[in-house]
Amino acid sequence: MAVTETSGLLTENPSAPRDSALFRYVLYQADDNLVLAQRMSAWISRAHDLEEDIALANIALDLLGRARMLLEYAGKLEGKCRTEDELAMFRSEREYTNLLLVEQPNGDFAYTMVRQFFFDAYQLGLWKALADSKDTTLAAIAGKALKEARYHLRHSSGWLVRLGDGTRESHRRTRQAVEELWRFVPEMFESEETCDRLAEAEVAVSPSQLRPAWIRRVRDTFSSAGLQIPGDRFSRSGGRSGFHTEHLGYLLAEMQWMQRSYPGMQW
Amino acid sequence: MTDRHRGEARFEALLAAEEKVEPPDWMPDGYRKTLIRQIAQHAHSEVIGMQPEANWISRAPTLKRKAILMAKVQDEAGHGLYLYSAAETLGITRDEMMRLLHEGKHKYSSIFNYPTLSWADIGCIGWLVDGAAITNQVMLTRCSYGPYARGMVRICKEESFHQRQGFEIMATLSRGTPAQRQMAQDGLDRWWWPSLMMFGPHDSASTHSRQSMEWKIKRVSNDDLRQQFVDMTVPQAEYLGLAIPDPDLRWNAERGHYDFGEIDWDEFWAVVKGNGPMNRERIAHKRAAWEDGAWVREAAAAYAARRRDAVA
Amino acid sequence: MDATLLSGDAVVIDARDVQSRVEAVPDPELPWVTISDLGVLRSTHIALGRAVVEVTPTWSGCPAMDAIRESIRLVLGEAGFTPEQMEINTTFSPAWTTDDITDAGRRKLAQAGIAPPRRPAEQPLGETLCPRCQSTGVRQVSEFGSTPCKALMVCRSCLEPFDRFKEL
Repeated sequence: MAVTETSGLLTENPSAPRDSALFRYVLYQADDNLVLAQRMSAWISRAHDLEEDIALANIALDLLGRARMLLEYAGKLEGKCRTEDELAMFRSEREYTNLLLVEQPNGDFAYTMVRQFFFDAYQLGLWKALADSKDTTLAAIAGKALKEARYHLRHSSGWLVRLGDGTRESHRRTRQAVEELWRFVPEMFESEETCDRLAEAEVAVSPSQLRPAWIRRVRDTFSSAGLQIPGDRFSRSGGRSGFHTEHLGYLLAEMQWMQRSYPGMQW
Repeated sequence: MTDRHRGEARFEALLAAEEKVEPPDWMPDGYRKTLIRQIAQHAHSEVIGMQPEANWISRAPTLKRKAILMAKVQDEAGHGLYLYSAAETLGITRDEMMRLLHEGKHKYSSIFNYPTLSWADIGCIGWLVDGAAITNQVMLTRCSYGPYARGMVRICKEESFHQRQGFEIMATLSRGTPAQRQMAQDGLDRWWWPSLMMFGPHDSASTHSRQSMEWKIKRVSNDDLRQQFVDMTVPQAEYLGLAIPDPDLRWNAERGHYDFGEIDWDEFWAVVKGNGPMNRERIAHKRAAWEDGAWVREAAAAYAARRRDAVA
Repeated sequence: MDATLLSGDAVVIDARDVQSRVEAVPDPELPWVTISDLGVLRSTHIALGRAVVEVTPTWSGCPAMDAIRESIRLVLGEAGFTPEQMEINTTFSPAWTTDDITDAGRRKLAQAGIAPPRRPAEQPLGETLCPRCQSTGVRQVSEFGSTPCKALMVCRSCLEPFDRFKEL
């Protein structure tokens, strides 16, 4: 994969090993946001009312904006002059490093909102921690993302409570979504080599450290929503090393279609 | 003098003085109904107009273009919401307007019954469709009804930003490879005539126009607006190096305007009456979103009602 | 700093003039306010044959940033700088907040019928007023409006629908 840069020039640079790990780490965050932005944007014009159409478009746009900042930074760290579009449009499924949670299809509105709530609660903790990163660029991006993450979490947790405590039908759908998506939760907090190495250098945060606050946030919202946290059981992971569910391929095929059909053109 | 007479006199005085009519003011029933119909149709157009553009969000060629397109569609939804609120000041609810749209009793701009078949179509919607809409909306900033006129000022600014971005898509394609230039020309070929149709029938055939002009809801006639649009757009097409698909198009030095060919009015009326390329799909999409979301609206209402009871 | 400098190809450039022209670049969607009013423009340095401008984005998803960078390039180009002599940097730190909008910017927003954001953004004080009749009896129709920075409100007194700049 692209991160194993071993040219003489780079190995002489003392910051190179850190840069290549950081490249990978920044790419993780970029991919999470980009893939979810692509999923969320498919809701536009399909929501249950106009307010929600606007809200979902706005959230998708924030996620995309954040993904673009991160991809641009990742490109700089990699040192191969790859642009945001080259990174987004010319990597295959096996090279994408997003969490499995964000690539799951939209399902119904309850499914989308549970997925979003799990992710928003995770992002809030992540950006809070990364705002203190020793890498100043990452810290600056985190500081910015944090403010928006609060708006996003307020929106998705508000919906979880309304749906969980709404009608029998909405409660049933929401509970089912929680049951189905819970298997993708442990991956967010899984120990991972790149994260752990950078966490030691106080550049990144170790995923497991984010878990207690996440569980607290989820428990609070679930208790207002009348929802139960499912018991521990089967879980899926592998996104960070490019082992995805079958859903991602179609998402990328659609997103990358123009660039792949008309290579090397300006748009 | 009765209240009604006083109201009527004041209404006429406001119009004569080029001042705005505001929600609490007395207004003739016909004025109110015309405004409701027009503002609702405008709002529906923004909302239905989201569909042909949303069709390209997932496939936008670059992330920057994707972001711009998403922001544009969000913008249209926001304008729709604003316009529904403006119509509500006249005593109709948004739910009622939605129902009339879903039942086919309210219209929306026919232009959105054409499909977006290539990336150039997104450029054409920005350049031509928004360009035509702005021509109309600039006029509406001088409309006699206050909330509508003031809303138009802000909406025009935001639309101008999108028009500039649409033109930029076209400019990029025109400077690009032969495949891209062909894409741009094909887009113009398909969107040119429908864009001219956006200004409606000829003045001589327009049923509502005269009364609307007297009420100062409409300030410029359909044919004059269409001419403005053609005069503005032809040089832009020349700059892009694209050919406008009209053999009769030429500069008329005597008039100081471009002469142009006749619109295919059969096509115009077919689309207005519901038989355009995408009429059924647009309404079906809108109704499906509304019906699929019924359980969400019910849940939100049930939750809100329970919260109110808990407080009371 | 000397206000009159020579650029690379010996065009006389008035640094203060260039600076004020950069400051006057309007926001593409809210053209009533400038990038300086909004606090998007962080700094402008005009030195011998070089212009370095630093901007900061508002909301991550706001595509106006791309247009703002282009407008700055245009202004610098008109002032005689070649593309090689311009540098437009984006900084994320400190993160932009609506508290960065100047008093003049707030007045201009209100005049355009947009309720300015309250201060401080972290814990906003006071109430949102209807920009038309100054009533405090206003209702939020939608937390998300036509652009990422705005919410849609309606005044209960005069019924005016209006946009409110959201605190960030």
